[in-house]
Amino acid sequence: MTNIDCDYLLDYLNGTLSIDEVQQFEEHLKTCTECQEIVEATGQLPYLADPVEPPTAMKARILANVFEEEPVQDNPTVALKPAMSAIPIRKNKSRRNTWKPLLAAVLLLSLLGNGYAFFQLSDKEGGPETAIQSFQLEPNAAFSGTATAELIEEDGLVNLVVQADRLAELDASQVYQVWLIKDGKPIPAGAFSPNPNGEGASYYQLEETAAEWDTIAVTLEPKAGNQLPEGEIVLSSEI
Amino acid sequence: MEKSTDTNLYMRVSQQDKAALEQLYDRYEKILFSFLYKMLEDRELAEEALQEVFIKIWRGKGVYDESKGKFTSWLFRMAQNTAIDLIRKRKQPSVPIEEAAQMVSNDAPVEQQVEWQEEKSQIEMAVQHLSAEQQKMIDLFYFKGHTHETIADMCNIPLGTVKSRIRLALKKLKISLHGMQERGAYDD
Repeated sequence: MTNIDCDYLLDYLNGTLSIDEVQQFEEHLKTCTECQEIVEATGQLPYLADPVEPPTAMKARILANVFEEEPVQDNPTVALKPAMSAIPIRKNKSRRNTWKPLLAAVLLLSLLGNGYAFFQLSDKEGGPETAIQSFQLEPNAAFSGTATAELIEEDGLVNLVVQADRLAELDASQVYQVWLIKDGKPIPAGAFSPNPNGEGASYYQLEETAAEWDTIAVTLEPKAGNQLPEGEIVLSSEI
Repeated sequence: MEKSTDTNLYMRVSQQDKAALEQLYDRYEKILFSFLYKMLEDRELAEEALQEVFIKIWRGKGVYDESKGKFTSWLFRMAQNTAIDLIRKRKQPSVPIEEAAQMVSNDAPVEQQVEWQEEKSQIEMAVQHLSAEQQKMIDLFYFKGHTHETIADMCNIPLGTVKSRIRLALKKLKISLHGMQERGAYDD
């Protein structure tokens, strides 16, 4: 048996012990007050660093990578409600090939404003994306917020990313709910709450292709989790 | 108070609570990034190291229990070890000084700034009690991640002497910090 004692303190601090040795030293640490105190003292050394501004969107990148092995959550489509009339709008379609940075940005926003979108992030990274459609959502007359939506087809799946800003603060129970609509029949497709900067975002994956839908809309719902809209449409676009 | 919050968050993280990990991230992003940047002098490497730290936490590769001391000591040691691994793998030019200066920022939440400032002023005082030689030893050993052998070569002193000087420096640091706690300067 190795006799791990105070002599190993520096190797422990410097990360040069094997995993077994670390475990043994930590056993020693439990009974050695002096080593304990030295370890605690070094625990304050990082505060000598001058504050440095983290890079933009680093949080989104890191957390996306940390969680990337998570299983995909099922998002079953559900039924519908009659008569949701979309606000007429102009189309604004575009194609791009790189959507990972977009997802990273969206994730950042969602982390700030809405944990929901976060849990939708899947391990689909790396699959061949085939198209991106981009829509500017049109606000209704009384609504000051703006939003864009991206439909990304990948391996027969549709990823819907919505980013919004200039949003008013909501009551605790309220939420902005995204809907995809076909012939007046909506299904929920993500939700978000504004962060303190008035920004919100959602990410949602569907099994249908983009051609299945004719409208995308955002409503202001009195509570999260509605399968059918109760609130009014605040933003919308034809697809 | 802070310790129990950290421990509580950590326990939730160990049960795969993503929101708890995010809170932990928010709490320590800036100090960890600043610390890692100080060690690595490279933004991308600092980000890489920070990511590695949180992957270790999330996947349970590093295990904290309260008998190991303060959560921050454990967290910072994991960050420091991660940075050392990167330092030993690479030998690349670091970010120019001017860029580093531009990145200095004070827009962290007020309570974080206060906490940071308190810890910083304490450790700075403790470090000032060390001789120049001891400060150099700590910098080379702790922040630059050099091995004892490298420090012995760099400073042209025997290996055994390097070890005893570092240990002595850390011991003195501990005594100074302990003295501050005794005098009530430390308020945890």
